[in-house]
Amino acid sequence: MKKLDFKKTKKLLDKYNIAYPISQIVGSEKNAAELSKKIGFPVVLKISSSSVIHKTEIKGVENNLQDQKQVVAAYEKLSKIISKKKIKDADILMQKMVSGTEIIIGMKRDPQFDVVLLFGLGGVFVEVLEDISFRIAPIDNKQAKEMVQEIKGYKILKGVRGKKPVKISALVNLLTKISKLALENKNIQEIDFNPVIADEKSALVVDMRILEHEK
Amino acid sequence: MKNKLEKLFKPKSVAVIGASRDPDSVGYGILKNIVKGCVFENEYCKPFKGRIYAVNPNADKILNIRSFPKITEIKEDVDLAVIAVPAKIVPSVMMDCVKKKVKAMIVISAGFAELGEQGEKLQEKIKNIAQKADIPLIGPNCLGIIRPSSNLNASFAPAMPPEGNIAFVSQSGAIADSIIDWAIENHYKFSNIISYGNRADIDIHDFIEYLSKDEKTDAIAVYLEGLKDGKRFMEVASKASKKKPIIILKAGRTEEGTKAIASHTGSLAGSYEIYKAAFRQSNVIIADTIEELFDLAKALANQPPCKENAVAIVTNGGGCGVLAADHCTELGVNIVKLKKSTVEKLDKTGKMHPAYSKANPLDIVGDALPERYRAAMETLLKEKYIFGLIVIQTLQTMTDPEEDANIIIELSKKYPQKPIICVYMGGRFSKRSRNILEANQIPNYHDIKKAALAMDALIKRGQHKK
Repeated sequence: MKKLDFKKTKKLLDKYNIAYPISQIVGSEKNAAELSKKIGFPVVLKISSSSVIHKTEIKGVENNLQDQKQVVAAYEKLSKIISKKKIKDADILMQKMVSGTEIIIGMKRDPQFDVVLLFGLGGVFVEVLEDISFRIAPIDNKQAKEMVQEIKGYKILKGVRGKKPVKISALVNLLTKISKLALENKNIQEIDFNPVIADEKSALVVDMRILEHEK
Repeated sequence: MKNKLEKLFKPKSVAVIGASRDPDSVGYGILKNIVKGCVFENEYCKPFKGRIYAVNPNADKILNIRSFPKITEIKEDVDLAVIAVPAKIVPSVMMDCVKKKVKAMIVISAGFAELGEQGEKLQEKIKNIAQKADIPLIGPNCLGIIRPSSNLNASFAPAMPPEGNIAFVSQSGAIADSIIDWAIENHYKFSNIISYGNRADIDIHDFIEYLSKDEKTDAIAVYLEGLKDGKRFMEVASKASKKKPIIILKAGRTEEGTKAIASHTGSLAGSYEIYKAAFRQSNVIIADTIEELFDLAKALANQPPCKENAVAIVTNGGGCGVLAADHCTELGVNIVKLKKSTVEKLDKTGKMHPAYSKANPLDIVGDALPERYRAAMETLLKEKYIFGLIVIQTLQTMTDPEEDANIIIELSKKYPQKPIICVYMGGRFSKRSRNILEANQIPNYHDIKKAALAMDALIKRGQHKK
């Protein structure tokens, strides 16, 4: 299986009206510094390459960059990793840093049931507790809502200890959109939106990994 | 599909191809099961009432049944052919059946896809023969089918189970076998037992579709290992579960499946998780063990759905009430709070013990006689906010289990919209009363947890029906 590159991924997300933070490929340190000012701090820099599936394993993410100086340093660091590890078709991507509750939304194509959708809280909740829900596509709004409500961590989404609730309807919409996307694009085998960052106003896909059959 | 499988379940005539004189052979067992109803004799055995033929070139008569060298030499029509010959001659025997224009074929013989590539080819061959002729084929490599209401035991299972309203469809022949012996002890009563083996032609969804329209079946219990066509299964099960409850025990749950580590979703979505999602989306109720499969089937086949999640418990033992509340709450079964007016009504009956609990679980105290049980149960069943009842009875010196059972049956008939589940805790001394309950479609369990699970299933069923 092959990972879709940034351009194709972006195109697909736009087609299905799936929201993500401002993301742009930067070609040089200078370019990075200028863009970061335009986007507004903090920003994130990350290596984007269709040959890298797990970015964190190559330390390919620089989070929470607060000023242009930090951006330039991070850019240099990532460039070195790319040349040292000889990563093919690598780009450096700049993204507006967003904060909120981490969520994972995914899709996998199953030989029996075709499109299977997954929903859960991100980070430790998915890694350790496997607090996730599944549905076979297609799903409607009602089923998508059930998926969200079914996990134990639903209480966290509704807001605990003074935290504001996240926008559940944005998550529900995201699930029905990914259902549609997967059913209409048969070549796509797996999708990871991990994390999706949700707050009281929106749910943005911060990191995406779309795997398709190699042709 | 109903018409297509009609003659399989309701044949007027049956031929056993590969019938044998050797009592240790499968061919003998099947013929005897048709002729007598069973090999291990018991009160539920029923001989087949239609025409029976044996097919064996080396015998004139087996078990007093005339034997023919070939099925084509039988003059009268044959509805059902049960085939138990060595795998390699199954295709030619089936060609004869096609020529004879039988209406259904069961291939008991093993030696097909379960053996690998060579067997797969042979299976493909017999599948093509059946499908080209448009004659349903069950198996190969199966136990056969049993339908007590047709007096039909077309299998090599040791006996016929008691007749009832649960259809059991099993991908394992051996489990179906054992269940029959178990059923006789445990009050599991069957409309059909179906072992479908390698499902070369007729598959689980065909049976579910048929059974959803079968007038003898009120619940469909399934033991499943795997599906060939998950999407088709979901489509059929969603439709069928609107009419009748389907309960499935799935084996192969811990298998790692195809572990695509490439993505999170790939490694998290294990095959059983996906099956469970598919079951839930088709309104199929999931059982965890063989015993649970039939415990739930028994409740779902014989009691109405619980329309709302609001249940009451009546008990003559405080401890049992507390445990029941624990089990129910853990499962999400709502033990509804009694209204003040309900307690007043209970007081007014004049039957309550001064120390009764006045709350749900309703502990009516150890010395409860049948009339106190009646007053408690009827008061609760009359309430519009209570939708189901769990009745617990522990055995004490003054307890009258049989009279209690009669009252439960009477009230169950009077309030047919509200499910009643019983827990007669005990063994030898309450056996007769348990039999009375079960004979009157009141499911009884010896353990409280099982009753809670049964009520949970009835509540789920109520939600499915909405």
